[in-house]
Amino acid sequence: MEIGIADYNGNKLITVSGDIDMYSSPALREQMIFLINKKVSVMLVDFNKVSYIDSSGIATFVEVLKHMKSYGGRLQLFGLPVAVKEIFGFSKLDKVFEIFRDIEDAVKS
Amino acid sequence: MKEFIKITVPSDAKYLCLIRDITTRMGLLGGVEGPLIDTLKLAIDEACANIIKHAYKGDTGKKIHIRYRITKGAFEAVIEDSGEKVRPELLQGRDLDDVKPGGLGIHFIRRAFDVVAYDGKKKKGNRLRLVKYLKEE
Repeated sequence: MEIGIADYNGNKLITVSGDIDMYSSPALREQMIFLINKKVSVMLVDFNKVSYIDSSGIATFVEVLKHMKSYGGRLQLFGLPVAVKEIFGFSKLDKVFEIFRDIEDAVKS
Repeated sequence: MKEFIKITVPSDAKYLCLIRDITTRMGLLGGVEGPLIDTLKLAIDEACANIIKHAYKGDTGKKIHIRYRITKGAFEAVIEDSGEKVRPELLQGRDLDDVKPGGLGIHFIRRAFDVVAYDGKKKKGNRLRLVKYLKEE
């Protein structure tokens, strides 16, 4: 898994590629918690190159979402591949997270 | 295909990708296709992650054994460890409407497989048998 962090119109854009699993999710969590500690108001996460996510990856995003909501921040996910989106749906998390087709839709919301 | 394939993998999360790749390949060899492969792969990954986390408490020096068997009508995986005994009655997972980190793995396992059975006769460690019945064409 690789993680990229960039600025995008004043927001933080996290680009993740590869598998998010029990082995890789702690590194992702660390990066996102670092941004949360800076009280980043909007975090955009690009899933286009995510090939796999397991329950530990999902748990990472749930934890980040809860942290961000606690200070009024927004976590926005976009570009979820079908298989990844299906996992969020099965977990009933597609209604909990802000999920968008692409970055333009996320920014416009 | 009636043969079985047995693999042994260290109880280190960095090898979960290997287990996923082998599970996918075994599924393809058995004629399993499409989204079903993804659900089987996720379930076996979750079962092995549970072993690392709960049975072995993060000890990376142990072993996980997986025996795959595919017949015309079923995909079967038997996963064994020598760690702490699992109490199946406690494996409930969280209420899916109760949004919090964790507790999803067992849901992913149960939705993928028709049979999810711990072998109570195994003296040391755990033996989990997972069976998915395949529809015949």
